[in-house]
Amino acid sequence: MLEVQNLRKSYGHNVAVDGVNFLVPDGQIGVLLGPNGAGKSTIIKSIAGLLRYQGIIRIQGIPARRVEAKKLFGYVPEIPAMFEALTVREHIEYIRRAYGSDITDEEVEEMLTAFEMDDKQDKLGNELSKGMMQKVSICCALAVKPKVILLDEPMVGLDPAAIRKLKEVVLRLRDQGVTVLISTHMLEMVEELWDIMFVMKKGNIIGSYTRKDAQGKDLDELFFEMTGGED
Amino acid sequence: MKALFYLAKRSFVNHIKMALKKPLTLIIFVFGVAYAIFIIMALASFASMIRLDSVQGLVIIMTVWSIYITLADFMTYSGRKGILFRPAHTHFVFTAPISPKLVLINSAWMNYIFAFGMWLLMAIAAATIFQAALWQAVLFFLAACILSLGFEIAVMVLLYANDSIPEKVLRGICWGIRVFLVALTLVIILYFRQNGLTIESAISFVDWPVLQMLPVVGWQVALYRLILLGPTVLNVVCSLLYLATVAAAAAGAVCMRCDGGYYEEAAKFADDYAELRKRQKSGELVSGIGRKKKTFRKIRERIGGKGAKAVFYRQLLEYKKEKYFIFSKTTLIAVFVALVVSFPMRDEVEAGYSRFFLLGIVAYVSLIMSGYTGKWENELKTPYLFLIPDTAFRKLWYSTLMEHIKALADGTIICVASGIFWRVQPLYIVLCILIYTVLQANKLYARVLAQCLVGDVFGAKGQDIIRAVIQMAILGMGIGAAVIVGVFVNVDLIFPILLIYSIIVTGAMCLLASLRFDTMEQLV
Repeated sequence: MLEVQNLRKSYGHNVAVDGVNFLVPDGQIGVLLGPNGAGKSTIIKSIAGLLRYQGIIRIQGIPARRVEAKKLFGYVPEIPAMFEALTVREHIEYIRRAYGSDITDEEVEEMLTAFEMDDKQDKLGNELSKGMMQKVSICCALAVKPKVILLDEPMVGLDPAAIRKLKEVVLRLRDQGVTVLISTHMLEMVEELWDIMFVMKKGNIIGSYTRKDAQGKDLDELFFEMTGGED
Repeated sequence: MKALFYLAKRSFVNHIKMALKKPLTLIIFVFGVAYAIFIIMALASFASMIRLDSVQGLVIIMTVWSIYITLADFMTYSGRKGILFRPAHTHFVFTAPISPKLVLINSAWMNYIFAFGMWLLMAIAAATIFQAALWQAVLFFLAACILSLGFEIAVMVLLYANDSIPEKVLRGICWGIRVFLVALTLVIILYFRQNGLTIESAISFVDWPVLQMLPVVGWQVALYRLILLGPTVLNVVCSLLYLATVAAAAAGAVCMRCDGGYYEEAAKFADDYAELRKRQKSGELVSGIGRKKKTFRKIRERIGGKGAKAVFYRQLLEYKKEKYFIFSKTTLIAVFVALVVSFPMRDEVEAGYSRFFLLGIVAYVSLIMSGYTGKWENELKTPYLFLIPDTAFRKLWYSTLMEHIKALADGTIICVASGIFWRVQPLYIVLCILIYTVLQANKLYARVLAQCLVGDVFGAKGQDIIRAVIQMAILGMGIGAAVIVGVFVNVDLIFPILLIYSIIVTGAMCLLASLRFDTMEQLV
């Protein structure tokens, strides 16, 4: 479960996020939508512990900044950044050690094969293309075996096969009871994934729907209804 | 912590492997070590020359070091700077379940290696140059390496990672240290003005008891004095105070609560540092990290010119929007050179040869400066230039024309200021300005040629070396010919020969370099 209560973040006099509240229950996929500058990235970075903020963020009921909470949390940033002198396999090994993850070598192998990275395991971080970095970033987040996973624009830079694979993985995580939060602009990419959606505008959540409440409406239809046509 | 060790170990091993694959890195490393040894030897003989080669001398050095470097470290950490973070830290380390304090301590490993190496050298110097006994050198090393490094780490954690100290207080600490250092420097300057700058006056200054009584830094000095000069009541008391301070700081750092609030600044620093590295790699002259967002002037103007000419007018429009138009850091360097050489050297320059001095200055500045990396290099990084339906030569000319104008402006600053004070005839001032402009153009085209020849195989440094070799070889011939004609025919022919020769070879290089503007793909 991911809880965000009264989250507020400002940069100088500019309020980026103004008292945001939302909750994504266990085994559900939440999508965070909103036009550019709405405050999505600030929320994502706050949850990931990269910003100072006011308010409460909890991961499985534990304050997000605590080490215990971070052990349960996987994160795929919008722009992946690799250690240039670490190979793909070493990135995953680092994650395994840092998180104390019980992922086995076979599982790692399987995951890399699924994202067509099995033949690039010995490539260094500075030898990878943007798409490959994104795949490594996803594999690293999955190697944590998280209870809550946060994906910030995860489809950007991925090839169609990897996008399909990622969707399968996200649905499988949901079936395993993992809480998933995806922030994206690509509404059609998350159309078949979402259980609960939040729409942000000017630092506030202006509305949310569960799939049940949406009564079969498309995601983009709901989105444009709430934002009044702004993309 | 195990994960961080794994990260450091694997990065180190892989970096070594990468370095072994690149012979240039090894060559630079070997030259770097040789240069460091040369500097150390030079400093050692300098210390002997100024009669600083005694334990008293070491005490003077350590006093200055403790006050300036230790306080500068405090200032850096209170400004949440001084530790290198990379974007990969933001992605993989800050989000990992690792104590933020451990992350910080681990990330400063470069500082520890530097400190360890430096204190080891100082300890060796203590025993060999400064005539300290072996036990004193060993104790000195332990005190410096364990206590001062331990104290530095504790201060780093207390200031950098402290979430409970308000930002204003941290800024206050920074300013307080700055004011103290400026005040102390003024005291030192006044003292040496009154007493003269001799080794005796320096010894009596560092013997001033007040220095040892300064909290923390003075107490640190007292410990070095205790080890190197023997006990006195003052240095024993102050050393004990120092030990107590180190213990208290270490305990404070261990007990302090840290939730990783500093990750916000560290992540920003990582992005700024990555940007800085990128700009440095492209050969830009970068002086600071974390530039403020650039503001531009509002200009309403249409871009004139057709074909490749439009590139020049677009650049002109961009420069008009810039705060200082075409004037940049290189202009500041030109102003600095003009200030340093023109008026101050007016008496040293011999009247009959002043024009040759000016030519020497122009040649020296053209060769040592890294060259103009303005908008022209960025043109090559985008496909738009290559899509323009025009010849490669015209594309090169109009992409670099503004750089020639900039060089002309900088050359004018240096030559006019120096020429007036050195009483150089106006004709020679004009010739020197033109020679400067052509030499800078030559450097620019040599750079493009080097890019064509070596591509990314040797990186920016390799390209620069190739560029220097090409330029020196070609210009060397011209300079040689000009000197021969000057000596055997007429000395005044040196200027026109040099100018005409430079124009011809630069024109030829320009033609060759235009190949680079034909396709985006490099030759190598």
